[in-house]
Formats: sequence, C-alpha cells, structure tokens
Amino acid sequence: MAKSDIKFKIPSTVFYIEPIRAFIGNLAQSLGFSRKRVADIQLVLDEICSNAIHHGSVDATVGVKLQIRIDTHSLEILVRDTGSPQAGEKSWLTQERLSEIEENRSPSSERGHGIFIAKSLADTHEMHPNSVGGTDVRVVFGL
Amino acid sequence: MDSTKLMKLREESGIKILEIKTDLSSYAASDLRKVLEDLLAEKVERVVVNLSEVSHINSTAVGALVGVAKRLRQNGGDLKICALADNLTRTFNLIGASSVVEIYESENSALAAF
Ligand SMILES: Nc1ncnc2c1ncn2[C@@H]1O[C@H](COP(=O)(O)OP(=O)(O)OP(=O)(O)O)[C@@H](O)[C@H]1O
Ligand SMILES: [Mg+2]
Repeated sequence: MAKSDIKFKIPSTVFYIEPIRAFIGNLAQSLGFSRKRVADIQLVLDEICSNAIHHGSVDATVGVKLQIRIDTHSLEILVRDTGSPQAGEKSWLTQERLSEIEENRSPSSERGHGIFIAKSLADTHEMHPNSVGGTDVRVVFGL
Repeated sequence: MDSTKLMKLREESGIKILEIKTDLSSYAASDLRKVLEDLLAEKVERVVVNLSEVSHINSTAVGALVGVAKRLRQNGGDLKICALADNLTRTFNLIGASSVVEIYESENSALAAF
C-alpha cells in the first residue's frame, strides 16, 4: 500500500480509547498483521493514549492528536499530547525520570507498566517533548 | 455510560465471582477498580474474577487486579482470575503479574483452589 496518513483528534477522556482501539484493530487486520500482532498494536495504542490522557492532558479541552501512517511495510502511530502548562518549560521526559520509572517497575506494582509494554511490543518506540509542552510518542510495527 | 453494568457479581459457597463482560481498556479499568474496591469495603475475602468474555486488557486493569489481590491476602483472603484468552495471558506474563496473581483455566478450578 502507498504511504497514507489518517488523523484523529480525540477529547482527553478515556471513553474514546475503546473506539479508537477497535479502529486500529480493524485497520491492522486489513493490512495483514497476524492476530497476535493486532492484539499487540491495540494494547500499545491503549497504553499510549491512556498516558496522553492521564498524564499529558492537564487541559482536557485541548484533546489528544493521533496520526496513523500506513506504509508498504509498516504501521506507525504518533500520539501527541499538550502536557501540563504549569510544568513550564521543563519536560517530565528526562533520562533520570525514565530510569526511575524503569527501576521502580516490579511485577507486583499496581502502576508503571504502560511505557514498558509499549517499549516491549513495538518494533520502534520513541518519546519526545513537543513544541506545545507535551509529549510525542511514536511507535512503529513492521509488517 | 457505565461499564459496571457489564461486571456481574454472584456468589458460590462464600466466594464472590465477578464476571467481566467488557474489554478492559482505561475506561472500564477504572470501573473495575471501583467494583473491586467496593468488595474490599464490604470485607469480602475471597474473589474469583472470570475474564472469559474479555478480549483486551491494559496495564491499568492488570494493576487493579494485582493491587486488590495483594490487599485481600493481607486479610487472609485472595483474588484469583480465570479463563484468560491467549493475548491476555501474554499481557499478564509480560508485566510479570502471572507470578503475583493466581491464574486458572476455568472458573471451577479457581473456585476449587480456595
Ligand atoms: N504522555 C505523558 N505525559 C506526561 N507524563 C507521562 C506521559 N506518559 C507517561 N508519563 C509518566 O511516566 C510514568 C510511567 O508511565 P506508565 O504508563 O509506564 O505507568 P502509569 O501510567 O503510571 O501506570 P499504568 O501501568 O497504569 O500505565 C507516569 O506515571 C507519568 O509520570
Ligand atoms: Mg500508563
């Protein structure tokens, strides 16, 4: 399939994750991803959107942007949130914070598994501070 | 909209059985936490969560199950889960939660394990 983009903007409430998850599942299936891989893609999308809504949307009215890029051999998902304006210039996304999150994660902890899941299941996983003070998360799944 | 309507509670020989009839992304995960915390508040000790009709679970929902299982154990009770689809088993394994919460093939085997 030739390169093409699909864009969404959803309100920053977890209610909208479920329909988006269904959509990406249908899309990934149509593109020829295996059942197992479709489930992985859906889970990663859920984790990234949940984080964008729970941690990166202090201003819930702004919403979360999603860009889905379909290429011949890959499905790429970019999720862009607006972060917390109160945090000022400094992004939460530092090497220290990421190491801390990683070190604190244990099988018996109730929280702190989302980034680990996204990193483990996606073929590429990147997080970057964006120009509006939020976070861009980009994941790629190869076909 | 309220996904707690898709979480059915019944009781068998003193064990509460919670049947989940919705996928567990973040929206339903917070309702799951509420339902489980109500059980804790009611001093329920033994819980089986039947996931046979669930085809997706995220980290927040797994975390809620793990957290409540740990708290029930502190009072001599437990929470066991059963009937996981393959991808749910993979998610529990990835997080490591399968070494924290007891997982059974069927509801009967989970009940029998108490
Ligand atoms: N988009 C984001 N904006 C701001 N902070 C974020 C974002 N994504 C993650 N974080 C930070 O990273 C931490 C770890 O995220 P992670 O998804 O691993 O766990 P969690 O969301 O706390 O719990 P869960 O296991 O339910 O996902 C979060 O608690 C939050 O502090
Ligand atoms: Mg998270």
